Amino acid sequence: MLEDIQEGKIFESVVRHITRDKINLYAEASGDFNPIHIDEDFAAKTPLGGTIAHGMLNLAYVSEMMTLAFGQNWLSGGKLRAKFKEPARPGDTLTISGRINCIDKKDDVSYANCDFECRNQKGEIIVAGDTIVKISHDRK
Amino acid sequence: MSGKAVTYEELTPGYEFPPVSYELNSSFVSKYQKAVDSVGDAFVPPLAITACAIAAMTGSFSMPAGTIAIHASQELEFFKLVPIGTTIECHTRVAQRIARGKMSMLILEQEIFNNNKEKVQSGRATIASPT
Repeated sequence: MLEDIQEGKIFESVVRHITRDKINLYAEASGDFNPIHIDEDFAAKTPLGGTIAHGMLNLAYVSEMMTLAFGQNWLSGGKLRAKFKEPARPGDTLTISGRINCIDKKDDVSYANCDFECRNQKGEIIVAGDTIVKISHDRK
Repeated sequence: MSGKAVTYEELTPGYEFPPVSYELNSSFVSKYQKAVDSVGDAFVPPLAITACAIAAMTGSFSMPAGTIAIHASQELEFFKLVPIGTTIECHTRVAQRIARGKMSMLILEQEIFNNNKEKVQSGRATIASPT
């Protein structure tokens, strides 16, 4: 999996459709029952005008893309910074994409520095950020 | 998790939430994987662990009636693989509280440990709320 890790590599995109059912399932699995995610009447009266997906649900898709690209190196040596820019709403289709910007070496350890973004079907950025993944101890 | 112990107003820098433990058993992991459309292996997805920590934290304080709390940003670092069946302990403290225009920003730092008291994950979450 890590043999083809090189600067400029574009990751395989992850595409996910957000539904009210998925948001409810996520609320149950995570225990996050914030009414802005699950209570349509409450959410309709807020400035957001309706329910939105949990930011951590959107971020789970980013982590999935990183896991597909880096496997256990991501799970036990990954670092992430993310900004939630717009809410994802029921009915949205999210596309998560990313690439390796550069590979740094420090004390004989290589690190892949990556960018990612998550856009909805209108092209609006929902989440954007960067990640660093420790790749190996002996990459030359 | 006990009831809402503190109000949003009481969350001042240095406040530490009571530590919360979770058993990341196979039932929890499969429920999480179903919710995020993911396939599993022997390890707990790191974002499932974060989700527990965030839910524990947001579930332990109450917002003023009619107001909302929105996740504005998140930083995470993963240190160790977490096998299914591990019990984790989440520690959360208020790092900063910032008023910016009509928004109040709460910055929370989290550290998560496994059964052997090894740190498996750390994080920093910014929660925004219109004032």
